[in-house]
Amino acid sequence: MDPSLYLDRNTWVHRLDPRTKMFLLIGMFVLPFVFLDPLYVLAVLVLVLFFGYLAKALTNLRRIWFILVTIAILTVILWSIFGSGQTPLFLFVELEALLYGISIALRIDITVIAGMIFLSTTRNEEVAIGLVRLGIPYRFAFAVSTALRLVPTIVATGFAISEAQRSRGLDLESGNIIQRIRKHVPLLVPVFVSTIRSTNVFSMALESKGFGAGSKRTFFLKTAMGWRDVLVLVAFAALLAGAITLSLAGYGELEGFSR
Amino acid sequence: MGVNGEREPIVQVSGLGYRYRGQKEAALRGVDLEVGEGEFVVVMGPSGAGKSTLCVSLNGLIPHFFRGRMEGEVKIRGHSTRDSKVGEFTREVGLVFQDFEAQLFSTNVELEVAFGPENFQVEHEEMVRCVRNALEWVRLEGFEGRQPATLSGGQKQRLAIASVLAMEPRILCLDEPTTDLDPTGKLGVFEVAEKLRDRDDVTLVVVEHETEETLDADRIVVLKDGVVVRDGSAREVLRDVELLEGAGVMPLQVARFFYELGLGEQLPLTPEEGIEEFRRRGLEVSLERHEELVEADREREESYGEPIIQVEGLTYRYPNGVVALQGVDLTVRQGEFLAVLGQNGSGKTTLVKHFNGLLKPTEGVVKIGGVETVKQGIRRLGQRVGYVFQNPDHQIFSDTVFDEVAFGPKIREMEENEIENRVSEALAAVGLEGRGGEDPFTLTKGERQRVAVASVLAVRPEVLILDEPTTGLDYAEQKRMMELVERLNEEGSTIIVVTHTMWVVAEYAHRSVVVRDGQVTLRGTVREVFAEEEELRDASLRPPHIVSFSNSLEVPVLSVEEMLRVTEGG
Repeated sequence: MDPSLYLDRNTWVHRLDPRTKMFLLIGMFVLPFVFLDPLYVLAVLVLVLFFGYLAKALTNLRRIWFILVTIAILTVILWSIFGSGQTPLFLFVELEALLYGISIALRIDITVIAGMIFLSTTRNEEVAIGLVRLGIPYRFAFAVSTALRLVPTIVATGFAISEAQRSRGLDLESGNIIQRIRKHVPLLVPVFVSTIRSTNVFSMALESKGFGAGSKRTFFLKTAMGWRDVLVLVAFAALLAGAITLSLAGYGELEGFSR
Repeated sequence: MGVNGEREPIVQVSGLGYRYRGQKEAALRGVDLEVGEGEFVVVMGPSGAGKSTLCVSLNGLIPHFFRGRMEGEVKIRGHSTRDSKVGEFTREVGLVFQDFEAQLFSTNVELEVAFGPENFQVEHEEMVRCVRNALEWVRLEGFEGRQPATLSGGQKQRLAIASVLAMEPRILCLDEPTTDLDPTGKLGVFEVAEKLRDRDDVTLVVVEHETEETLDADRIVVLKDGVVVRDGSAREVLRDVELLEGAGVMPLQVARFFYELGLGEQLPLTPEEGIEEFRRRGLEVSLERHEELVEADREREESYGEPIIQVEGLTYRYPNGVVALQGVDLTVRQGEFLAVLGQNGSGKTTLVKHFNGLLKPTEGVVKIGGVETVKQGIRRLGQRVGYVFQNPDHQIFSDTVFDEVAFGPKIREMEENEIENRVSEALAAVGLEGRGGEDPFTLTKGERQRVAVASVLAVRPEVLILDEPTTGLDYAEQKRMMELVERLNEEGSTIIVVTHTMWVVAEYAHRSVVVRDGQVTLRGTVREVFAEEEELRDASLRPPHIVSFSNSLEVPVLSVEEMLRVTEGG
């Protein structure tokens, strides 16, 4: 399995400045929270998916579809049960609570999908450069991009460790939830130890390559805000402004829902 | 050039001592060492001799990065490492570590190599040149856009070397660069080292534990317990069989053979030199004695019991469609000691993972004790087939050695008494009796490896699979490990070893199969397989020196001891 999320494709989205992509990401986090009517939120989802399609990043969704569906189903069920509205649907479920649940589910999924698109189109190094260009110190920016890198590495180590422990007779599938959690100790301890050991070598390697040797550094990747970036940012800002205006004008609300 | 026409030493180590904070023993004591510009120096010695400590002293990680007490001085081109920051010396002394996975972190090859120059504020145009140049040196041109994770082990290590070369260091220090690599990967790294050796502006300091690979060095420095016990020209040191053995370094086999014969001074080193010397001395081989060895092999073959593992027409396809094994047939009988050889990616690990049910055949069947693995499940199979993974740190999790070894019996819900018996039995088998109370994380790598073996033994499996059991261990530890495995085999366990270490196969295994591109291409007794040097070479495998030597004399033997037995006259 390829542990990295980045998809090395040459689309105009990939070529955008990392700062632009970060602003877009933040924008896509905000946009679904402007409306509460599931139809409006659905429109936002379609928009985000279209953006992902243009970035040729939707293939990565196959890796997380299970998570997306689980989140959606759980959210809808929970809000249907615990929320209340005015129009009874069946049993104790009201229409408004169901719709509210759908909206919330869509909101969460949209933020996850937007994050996925960002990571699929932005290299770790670009994240670091973007943060540096925004005035954040390189050491901190590098720490952020390293954290992003560490996740897939830990997953790969975890896979090797689970093979070793299953060979010794560890059975993760049976037992109640507490027993199952306890059974993960033989997995977690080696994951921690291996990660710490390799982090140690990693920090020596960094130091050996002159990390932090000077207060400044140059970058191999060339990044610059171009006319495309400006165009995209202006278009997106207009979209966001439009959405907020609509919302203030009373569109996209959900009437009759209460907790 | 120095004043006397001698080359000025680029590295001057004088009276260097170092003790890590929290350690009782010093890692280095009174080390004096001078390295001339353009030299190729190999550092050898057992685990814990201080080889890595010496490496990190050269680029200033000691004293600036590590905590501890340093004595003496290290000067690089006349500048003491004490005087300034690490940064200054890392550019002069490029350091590459054994663990290539942990030192690569970028999303593509090009960016990985550019990281060093970026830190030193190299301008963009110059940086592009440095990157291209470095990749050319390690023969990774054309890989610029590849993700490091998708490269083979050998390519990763070469990338790590390039990422350091891009800073254009004057000294390149490689700390056991080939330990974790398969033979093809090793070869690639050695080729890079050889090319760099010819450069006068690059000085090479390489920590290496495979003696056969040190023949090209200008000089060998032997460390033991933090002290330099020998420093001399490579050929001179390699002839000192006694010293190497005493320092826990495997001597060259051909040299040891002539040394044991008592043919002193100018010992030959390579198989070719050995043949010449053999003829010059008028030595001869006894075909009769050799026939006895072959006869012993045959008797052993006949002593095997019932088939315990039966593989018929096994094909395995990964979920992504890649075919890892194709139509493999193999039978392993009770009491065998089988070595599975092949490059990484040849399918050898995929093959053995079928034996304990970790993988299920795509086509064909794998039977253990006559029953298909798919009908038994991994947990039940674990009782019969124990699997010791390469990295003990991927399985050790308990606070004490006892608990770690008791894990298998406990999970199978055995009685308290029974568990205690089994643990002490298993600990005794691996030579760790009475150490059940210790914390496994404070043990050495060799000891942790033995805890891993004990934890599998405690279940009393009939078959024991060991994946690379000697990787990362020094000569003495390797021997101790394999002697343990040999004893288990003599006591009745069926042993399957997956390994790249050819002398281990020659001296301990009896039968071997070579896997190449998902198929078994060679099989037979180790003697038969190792006599097929051409075919082995096609699979990028090279038999140990003494085997090549004896193959030239047409009496394939497997160890120096066997060679001594078949030699007469002189």
